[in-house]
Order: sequence, then C-alpha cells, then structure tokens
Amino acid sequence: MAGILIIEDDTELREMLKISFSRRKYTILEAGNGKDAITHFKPGVTDLVVTDLIMPEEDGLKVIMKLREIKPSIKIIAISGGGKAGPGSYLNLAKALGADAVYSKPFSVNDMILKIEELLNFEQQ
Amino acid sequence: MDFDKNKPGDNDFINFLTREKYFSDHILNNSRSMISVINRNYVYEKVNSTFCKAQNELSDSIVGKTLGDVWGEEIFRKNIKPNIDRCFSGDVVKYEASFTVPHTGKRYFEVVFRTFPVESGEITHLLAETYDITDLKLSEKIAVEKEEEFKRIEQMLEDRLLQAQKLETIGSLAGGIAHDFNNILATISGYSELLQEDLPEGSTSHQNVARILFAVSKARSLINQMLTFSRQVEQDKVTVNVYEVLKETIGFIKSAAPKNVTVKSNIRKSNVPVFADPTQLFRIFLNLLTNAIQSLEDRKGIISVSMSIVSGNRVREELKKKIVADEYVLIKISDTGRGMDPSLIRRIFEPFFTTREVGKGTGLGLSVVHGIVTEMGGEVLVSSEMEKGSVFYVYLPVSIGILKESVPSGKRKKILFIEGNKHESRILSLALESAGFELMNSSDRESLFKALSDPDSNPDLIICMSDTDNIKSSDLLEALEKYGTKTPCILIDDPDIDFHEEILVNSGIVSQHLIKPVSLKEIKNAIQLSIK
Repeated sequence: MAGILIIEDDTELREMLKISFSRRKYTILEAGNGKDAITHFKPGVTDLVVTDLIMPEEDGLKVIMKLREIKPSIKIIAISGGGKAGPGSYLNLAKALGADAVYSKPFSVNDMILKIEELLNFEQQ
Repeated sequence: MDFDKNKPGDNDFINFLTREKYFSDHILNNSRSMISVINRNYVYEKVNSTFCKAQNELSDSIVGKTLGDVWGEEIFRKNIKPNIDRCFSGDVVKYEASFTVPHTGKRYFEVVFRTFPVESGEITHLLAETYDITDLKLSEKIAVEKEEEFKRIEQMLEDRLLQAQKLETIGSLAGGIAHDFNNILATISGYSELLQEDLPEGSTSHQNVARILFAVSKARSLINQMLTFSRQVEQDKVTVNVYEVLKETIGFIKSAAPKNVTVKSNIRKSNVPVFADPTQLFRIFLNLLTNAIQSLEDRKGIISVSMSIVSGNRVREELKKKIVADEYVLIKISDTGRGMDPSLIRRIFEPFFTTREVGKGTGLGLSVVHGIVTEMGGEVLVSSEMEKGSVFYVYLPVSIGILKESVPSGKRKKILFIEGNKHESRILSLALESAGFELMNSSDRESLFKALSDPDSNPDLIICMSDTDNIKSSDLLEALEKYGTKTPCILIDDPDIDFHEEILVNSGIVSQHLIKPVSLKEIKNAIQLSIK
C-alpha cells in the first residue's frame, strides 16, 4: 500500500485530504508544517507528498528540495492558496524545482486523486 | 501785465518763459502717466499727450469736456466722483481701478488725485495722475497662476502617491484574505466531492452537491478578481495587437448596448503590439465601456472610443512618471453621462467601492482594471465633470516587435473551439492562437459534426463556451457519442446563461469546468490538466 504524506498547515483542509485519500486505501502520514515534515520524514513508507507552499516554519519550496535530496524518486504534488507572494509564480517555481504536479486552491480532489494514481502507477511499471 | 518783446529785458523774460514752458511741456507729455488738471466742475482744463493717446483723441477735444463725458456718466458717478470730492476736501487720494477702455479692452490703473492750490490758497483744481498698470497686473497674475499650477501638480503627485499606497495596502489585505479563503474553499469543495461519491448519481442530493461545487467555482472566480486587483495573479502574456482586442470589445458592446446609447469609435485599423493577456485586455475595455453605459442611466448619450500613440517623453511629462517605455498606446473612453464628484473619483479604483446598490455589481470592476493595467506597466487615469461626463485614459506600453510562439505547426495542439458570442470568442481565439494552439472554430451543429467526423482533423481538445447560440449541449454529447471520440472538453460557463451544462458535466466529458471571466493562464492550466 502506497504511502502519502500530507503537509498542510490548515487542519481542516489536511483532514479533508486525509479522508479523501484514505478511501483509496493509501496510508496517510501528516505534518502541520514543513519543518516537522522533514524531521519526521520516513522515506521507506512515503511514496508521494502533497505539500502546501506557503506555510509557517519551513516553506514548501524548501521542503520540495530537501525531500528530493533525501529520496530522489519521491513524487511531489504542490498546492497553493494564492495571495501574499503570488500563487502563480510559487506554483511555477514548485514545478521548476521538480514538483510532478501543481494545483491552486480550491482544486478538485478527484482530479488530484487521478493524478496520484497516474504518478504511482508509473512508479510501479 | 504786458510784455514787449522789443524791450531787451522783456524779451529775455519771454525767452526764459518759452524755454520753461517747453521744458515743462516736454516733461509733462513724456510722462508714462496720464496727467490732467480738473476743476471743481469736473471739467478737464489740461491733459498731457499720454492722456490723449490713451483716449485716442486730440487734446483740444478733451479739454473742456467733463469727466462724465470722457468716462461715461455711470463710471464717473460711481467710481470717480467720490474720490475727487475727497481730494477737494484736502486729502491726497490714491486708488487702483479697472475699467474697460474703448478699443483696448479692460485695463488696470493706479490713480492719484492731488490738491492743486491756486493763488489765494483755495482749492480750485486738482491734479490727476493715472498710471496704466495693466501689464504689471497681468505679469503678477501669471506668476500667481504659475504658483497655483505648481501647487496643483504637487498636490496631484502627492494624492497619486497616497492613492497608490492605499491601493497597495488594500491589495495586500485582499491577497491575505484570499489565501485563507482559498483554503476554506478547498475544504468545502473536497468534502462536497466526498459527499457526492456517497450519493447515487442522478439523485437530487447528488445534484445539490453539484450546486455547492458550482458555488465554490463562483467564489473562486471572485477571489481571482481580488487577486488580479492586488496583482498577485501571474498573468500569461502574449504579444497581441491591441487594435484587434479593442475592435472586438467595441463590437461586443455595440451588440449589447441599450438603444439610448450611441457608441462612436474613432479607431483606425493599425498594428499596435502590446504584451498582455488578450482576455485581460478585453476585460479592461469591457469594464470601462460597461461603466460608461451605466453612467448614462436611461438617458440618451454618446460613448466615444479613440486610440492614439504617444511618446514616452510625453507620458513622462504629462503623467509625471519617472520610468517610461519608448511608446505608449493611449485608449480614451469618454461618456456624456452624469459625471463624478471629485471625492468619488479619488476612490473609484478601490476594490469593493461601488456607487450602485448593494447586490448590483461587486465593486471590483475598476479595481480589476487598475490591477491589470498597472501590472502591464501602464496607467489608468480619469477626469470627470458633473453632469457633463467622464473620460478614462488607459496608457499601455507598446511592446517592441512581434514575438511569435516557437511551437512548430506540426506539434501544435488542435482545439475544436465551440464559439459563444462571436466578439468574445474572437478574443479567446486570439489568445489561444498567440499562445501556439491550432484552432478549428465551430458555431453550428453542422460544422461541429463535420469536425468530429473527420479522423484527420481529430482535435486534441474541445473548448465549449456555454453562450453558444446554435449548438445545444445535447448536440455536443450526441456528436461525441456518434463518432466515439473521447476528446476531453473544457466548458467555459457563463453563469447567466442556461446551457443545460449538467448534461455534459454528468456524462463525464467535461474535464475542466471554468466560470467566466477566464484568463489565458486559467485556460492554459485547464488545457494542461485536460490533455494528458
């Protein structure tokens, strides 16, 4: 069973993603900020990361770079809520830094799940 | 006393007097003041040549006349007589006066009346000295006007700076709120999708949840507008001819404008490249034109649009802008509507500021215009006069050269584009073609079936505008089923038009459901997500 790490500081949103992914029989790991995510990262059981970009402590772009360093094969989906520093440019940067897919909030979880399946299937082949 | 010029002593005296008279006449006549001697009956007894010149008369025709004769009875009675009477009672009277002089128009004078005691010491005459100070006055006036103009520009620059800072603050506030709102919306839409999964397809509850999701997209679109204002949405830009966009927008407005409105367009076919998202340009012009129409209310009126090229130097000069592009295109949109109060003008670019009743208009229109124009390095200004109308000036930097997207034609993605309103569709086509897509347009059932039946022209994607006139959503579904194509479809939804889009959404062919207004960035994202 593939493992997904959700890094999101908004607890409601994190909970929603957790419930949605659990239905597809994924193992869910959670972190409320980027720093925790990196400290407690378990490369062995994490196949894919869904990370917010604008977060307190470590921001999402650094998280992407560090996780890639620890586990180069990891799949990464970046999400951003817009505002502050500009959602478009953040998402583009995330993509440039190697995120496999990017979504701006609000997004369709069903779309995201399809993408996750595609990314993880590709991994298995 | 009689003198005999043949007597030597008398002759000397006569010579002396003649010389004295010559000198004093010379002094008198060469004075820059009009000098005259006036007696107690207000009659001129002597005038100098300056006086005569000013009156354009000979001395003889003035001497013997009353002041009333020369200046007119009314001026004499009101302005001159009281001062003369004061002088005859022993004062030196000095005042400034202005009156209209025949042939030369309005002049300003400094007037001095001095007593002129004769023989017994009794005051029988007075000496009037009138100096024309019009030129002095005018140069003073010009200096004052210059000072005022300087102050006005200084004030304007200060106002603009304050305004810019205010908009910046509101912008970052709006951006911050938008971020939190998008998190909340993501949660709502996520749970709604979960809920939808649990409900039987086709059930009322399933449809109700679809309505929640639709409301989420509308909220998202509103937040996007807020972000556009605060310039926190990255725009996808292409080089586009602003003339094309303006022409289509005017066409759109003409087709939609009520009968009381005359739209006069003063734009000549030209090639003015700007670096912009064509859909955003369309929104700028559409917002300004719609506002112009609304300013007329139900009255008859004219909206005029003009376009011209201005040099960077002129923009630097007129807008007091420090950094300028080489050239700007100036689009002027004026109306003959109600006009605006200065206090209103100062606030119109603020988001959520609206003069319309609550519920009519979001108050985001002009703030979005401001955001887009500023993001492009342009300026939007307004001038207005109550009951006369308003003029909006949009300055956009002209882009250098034409940039062509470097997508080889063979590798271009083919899009079947189901057109809505032809003008708005044209803008979208412009945007998509400039972004490197190949478009096949379809505006009726027949061309739709033809496009899908031909395996050679098989599109990679369908974009369908919900305000299409001659194609029903069921036609599209039928065509797709008939030819067994699984082409993904992006639906661009106009919430005001009932296209029965649920037929398409429920059948699962809609890969992305966008709500108008859409930006090129959003469409490109949707295309990326749709074409795997």
